[in-house]
Amino acid sequence: MKRALYSPAVLTACAAVIVIVATPAAAADAICQKSDIRLVNSMREIAQPYHANLDKGGRLFAAWAGVKNYVLQLNQGDSDKQISLMRLLLTTSPSCTVFNVEPNADLVVKPMVDTANRSGSWIVTHWAHNEGLHPFDGNDHWVAHVAVDSLEAGVAISRLLVDAIGRTGGIVALQGRLDTDPARNRFAGLQRVLEQTPGVKLLDQQTANWDRTAAFPIMQTWLAKYRSQINGVWAANDDMALGALEALRAAGLAGKIPIVGVDGIPEAIAAIEKGEMISTVSSDAYYQGSIGLAMGVCILTGQTPLPATWSKENREFYLKLVVITRDNAAQYLREPQPETYIHDWQCDRLWSRSTGKAF
Amino acid sequence: MMPADHQGPVGARPAAAGQELRLSTPLLALIVLYLGFSLIAPGFATVENLWTIADRCAIPLILAVGTTFIILQGSIDLSIEGVMAASSLTVALCVLNNRTGLDLGLFGLALATLAGAGLGLLTGLAIIFLRVPSFMVTLGVWSASTGIAMLLSGDQPPLIRDSVLRALGLGRSLAVPNLFLVAISIVLLGYLLQNYTRFGRYSMVIGGGEDLARLLGLPVDRCKVLAFAFAGLLSGLAGALESARIGLGHIDVGAGQMFATISAVVIGGTSLGGGRGGVLQSAVGILTLAVLADGLVFIGVSPYTQKAVQGALILSAALVATWPHRGRLRIVK
Repeated sequence: MKRALYSPAVLTACAAVIVIVATPAAAADAICQKSDIRLVNSMREIAQPYHANLDKGGRLFAAWAGVKNYVLQLNQGDSDKQISLMRLLLTTSPSCTVFNVEPNADLVVKPMVDTANRSGSWIVTHWAHNEGLHPFDGNDHWVAHVAVDSLEAGVAISRLLVDAIGRTGGIVALQGRLDTDPARNRFAGLQRVLEQTPGVKLLDQQTANWDRTAAFPIMQTWLAKYRSQINGVWAANDDMALGALEALRAAGLAGKIPIVGVDGIPEAIAAIEKGEMISTVSSDAYYQGSIGLAMGVCILTGQTPLPATWSKENREFYLKLVVITRDNAAQYLREPQPETYIHDWQCDRLWSRSTGKAF
Repeated sequence: MMPADHQGPVGARPAAAGQELRLSTPLLALIVLYLGFSLIAPGFATVENLWTIADRCAIPLILAVGTTFIILQGSIDLSIEGVMAASSLTVALCVLNNRTGLDLGLFGLALATLAGAGLGLLTGLAIIFLRVPSFMVTLGVWSASTGIAMLLSGDQPPLIRDSVLRALGLGRSLAVPNLFLVAISIVLLGYLLQNYTRFGRYSMVIGGGEDLARLLGLPVDRCKVLAFAFAGLLSGLAGALESARIGLGHIDVGAGQMFATISAVVIGGTSLGGGRGGVLQSAVGILTLAVLADGLVFIGVSPYTQKAVQGALILSAALVATWPHRGRLRIVK
């Protein structure tokens, strides 16, 4: 049904290939003129600081790289929309278009990669994708997948939490949406740490669907149920951690019970500085919002060889996470400066934050 | 169809204030649920937990009062979450915050509430003058007001730094959560509106049979617009208060509230067909959902099964609540 949509894109892609084949010398140097390059950030929405920072990172890079054509695509949590927005844009100059994608769900990765392969556009994906799918399995236009090891994130904050309560006592855990990979793996990280720390007991765990408003009443009920037995609060993201913090504030306990979260959103970092939270882990949204675009520009300008020639570790890798505590909170509260990222955007340093092959 | 057994003639005082509640099965279901959890979960039946439940149901109670009048009239309001989002951002940007230089204090709260009333008024006028079903109009308003909220939100949700507002959202007065006190006043207001004003009595008649009400010469259109404006006002208030509680203006402050409110209204015994039910019944429905949510955490139902258990219990509660009316239902939609 949607096949008809591809035909112009396919034609353009074929035309592009013919041009490239016809002028091999030019292809070795640059696939596109810089003025023809179009950079796209595709994400859920921008009302959350995380997403806003993805966008800021992308714009920061585009300005630095001198690419004027930057497009922001928001799908509002609608997976079909994320795919169709991509396809609609590709009716013009697909081979000079680079997509940096925060997949709305694991499932959208395959159709988006297929679209890129068919149209000749370039795509870099983040977070998670379905098992058995890899950039290096003949997906020449799926430049790379930049994965985040949610297990590692879960382990990191859990260690800090159990240490903060002296490796003994009771904690409660707020889970994310249970059908998502980060929720499962962050919680698995907590369970791994708890196995090694018999003194700490997980009193209860509930899901608050990543949502601050939902976390608030759950924390209140826990306070009524467990009262002084709760020594620490574990949350799978910062939003829920902050919802729990407000419930603690209502009970006069803000800053008295350690809380940890994940994401590194500005409010959480501010709470860490104030001593109301103890830690969060960040994948650095500015970096995630720009690195895929940097890879694309390096390829299109001929400064980096085609991704098909890259090693497997360079096409699917885990991102180094940043653990934020009171010691280093101040530096993450500032607006990002291009200088912080310029060295990560250099074409010979595109993998500076890789911790190795993912999955 | 005027349920003659349910109330007196239009404009008359209600026969007995407590009558509707005394006979209600939903109230019994609520009591059984509360006693059940008290028996299973030690520590559930404490005063402290009662206040936890009260705090949990404060925002939904406010929403349910407005929705009750809409449903009594036979309409539906799907815009709750959008209006809450718009008012949430409005209040956060008007009081002391980290984005704008404004510091309007409680006046900001009033502005956000009025913004909600404005959206509700527009909704009502659109339904009356464009003759589009409330289902479609409110769906549109939901979307539009979420859009407004998103624009206001920008890339950084505004943090509320107004200490008076935060104290209102988080604090207690004489051990009772402030928001619950607000909610109880709203329920009382709704109850008075329903039983002691023409608006309330006419709403009942309109839901019972709109064509009949028009033949009788009742100001049907005006009542409908009023109901949507009132519901919008309360959605606005609820959105602003939820923001005061969590400390920021956010487009998701109302997430999940629409279905929760409508199901609570139905569980309480207000018929989706209109013309039957009331504010107190809806309050019972809200309390039932709050006791359920609190109780499930108390007995430690795993989050993996909680949704299913909650769904099953809501279904049973709705069944119990509407069972006595089965005979009188002509049509089930």
